[in-house]
Amino acid sequence: MPEMVTLTIDGTEVKVPKGTTILEAAKQVGKVIPHYCYHPGMSSPAMCRMCLVDVEGAPKPQASCVTTVMENQVVDTESSASVANRRGVLEFYLVNHPLDCPICDMSGECDLQDFVHAEGRDHGRSVEPKRVFGRDDFGGDVLFYGDRCVMCTRCVRFMSEVEQDERLTVVERGNRSVIDTFFEKGLDGTEWHGNIVDICPVGALVSKEFLHKTRAWDLDHTPSICASCSQGCNIELHTAENLVQRVKPRENLEVNAWWMCDYGRHDYEWINHGQRIEAPLVRDATGSSRTTGWKDALTSLLEGASGLNGTSVQIVVSARGSNEDLAALTKLQDVMGGGDKVFRVSQADEESALPGFPTLARRKDLGPNVGGAELLGISRVGESDGTGGLEAVKDHDGIIIVLGDNLEDQDETFGANAGLYVYLGTHECAATKAAHLVLPVTTFAEQEGTFTNHEGRIQRFWPALQPPGMARPAWLILGAVLAELSEGVAPRSAAEAFMNLAEAVPALRGLTYEGMGLSGSVSETAQHASLD
Amino acid sequence: MAISVKVMERPDPESTSYLRAALSGMALTFKHLMNPIKVTQQYPEEQTELHPRWRGTHVMETHADGRPKCVACGLCPTVCPANCIRLVGGEDDQGNRFPLVYEIDEFRCIFCGMCQEVCPVEAIHVGQHFENAEYTRDRFVYDLDRLMEQDHPSTHLWDPSDPASE
Repeated sequence: MPEMVTLTIDGTEVKVPKGTTILEAAKQVGKVIPHYCYHPGMSSPAMCRMCLVDVEGAPKPQASCVTTVMENQVVDTESSASVANRRGVLEFYLVNHPLDCPICDMSGECDLQDFVHAEGRDHGRSVEPKRVFGRDDFGGDVLFYGDRCVMCTRCVRFMSEVEQDERLTVVERGNRSVIDTFFEKGLDGTEWHGNIVDICPVGALVSKEFLHKTRAWDLDHTPSICASCSQGCNIELHTAENLVQRVKPRENLEVNAWWMCDYGRHDYEWINHGQRIEAPLVRDATGSSRTTGWKDALTSLLEGASGLNGTSVQIVVSARGSNEDLAALTKLQDVMGGGDKVFRVSQADEESALPGFPTLARRKDLGPNVGGAELLGISRVGESDGTGGLEAVKDHDGIIIVLGDNLEDQDETFGANAGLYVYLGTHECAATKAAHLVLPVTTFAEQEGTFTNHEGRIQRFWPALQPPGMARPAWLILGAVLAELSEGVAPRSAAEAFMNLAEAVPALRGLTYEGMGLSGSVSETAQHASLD
Repeated sequence: MAISVKVMERPDPESTSYLRAALSGMALTFKHLMNPIKVTQQYPEEQTELHPRWRGTHVMETHADGRPKCVACGLCPTVCPANCIRLVGGEDDQGNRFPLVYEIDEFRCIFCGMCQEVCPVEAIHVGQHFENAEYTRDRFVYDLDRLMEQDHPSTHLWDPSDPASE
């Protein structure tokens, strides 16, 4: 237990561990002291001069991002001296900062805009011409607008302290100082540089991919989990017009802190991919197919399955399926007679860890729920590029159920001998030609659910988009079929589906949606397993 | 209190002449025929003079080289209460932000003029114009080119020398 210190901030008493800065202590009482250069994940140079606050007994205002708390300290962040200081500092920033908010991508989520609006002067007094740097391509996904820079050096410190690959530096002195790259090297080849766009408090560093795409105030933010590897980074999906416009990391000190890799950040176009299956498709014995409603589709599924009692059921799932989806399918398989369960996942050549936060890495498995699939006894097959491994399933003559796997490497003969071949997916392809039933399911961005990451942490994600047409979450479809077969009750919500799962799998016992909240939980069994 | 009803005594129609009433009516007609102050306007031969702050069909102002002044900041679609402006931002060949798509649905528009008020670069304006009849509904969606082609004067909602009306 660390030594605790009691102090008063704006009249509220607060108890924090010794060594905490005033700025962090102020967050405890719900007070955000304006700042630019300070970031909890990096060192504090105390150079932006925005966070100066009055401390009783101190001769001058103190920089709250580096001043640690003392017993019985009295801090006033709203004293006339503190406010006058911020007002003055903001005026200095606006001497050179162009007021190009209408064409700036950061407009609407900019710290300078917010603080000036809150406390700045309504008219500038500077009559000097502003310095002009123009625009610079930093390589990778980053564009640099030098005029907008407030010299907080967060980006320089991120590259040197967190990514530990010095690519940026401050050149020149004083008024002429500007961020620059080393010669033509730029940021090309670094794998975490997207984070410097996130931490830039103004619009100096912007993403080329997001440039002019949408205004910040048009975006809806939905907490989610990155579906690009098994690390399970906490993210926010920023959506507008029912499309994912960009992906931003969400703070979770247990998993990814404030960071995420560029691979995950830019791997979202597949969610927006059009040409989705929008209605259930039923193919009869003559080979002709018809689109139909859910009741009809599930009735034909049950009819098809009833004639095949006792045959084995082969299932192929995708590592992008949620725990609830996979659990509903494995349970259905057990009820229908049991058989092999397999999944395929493509793999990267190697892990790439973030040196400044080594528990965060782009993992080898490029699927978010490899942990969940393995927990449910589904075995991995195929090559490291996510192909092959389905020879046994392909010509199976019993029941085949495919969930989510897009079967890109398979041809039209896949499942041609099957007594019943059900495909639950998002897109039709050659390998779905022989399917008796093609059922539209939602992606993780369109449904509620959980993923299990590489260390056994179960994390929730929330629906960000409207599903296309009649697409439904797989747990809902399979739960209805299962309820019909076993005369049970179908789950009505993802929370209920997870409760069924948590009862059935010992490793997840005791976990609930409420308990997981935004940051997820690690089940004790999974923790022990990872320690062994 | 009891309500009392006054019963009018009408003249006997058999013994009354209408000549006097008819003549007084004709007199009024002739009086107006001679009146030099005429209020009837011969539209469309004669055009109405519009109020200086009339808010009519939109105009997109252009630079001298013909580019639209719009910088695609997205404030007008945000402020528009009728949600009738569609804007897709992009970048032109000189690296300037500009609208790839800018459409105003004049049918949905309620002509409040807030798009003009909010515009930071004085690009979109409401105009001194109201005759925008068309044969088809889709013609009421004005795209960027059509908004730039509008040749009627744009409206000044405030005095440029005294924008805050002080």
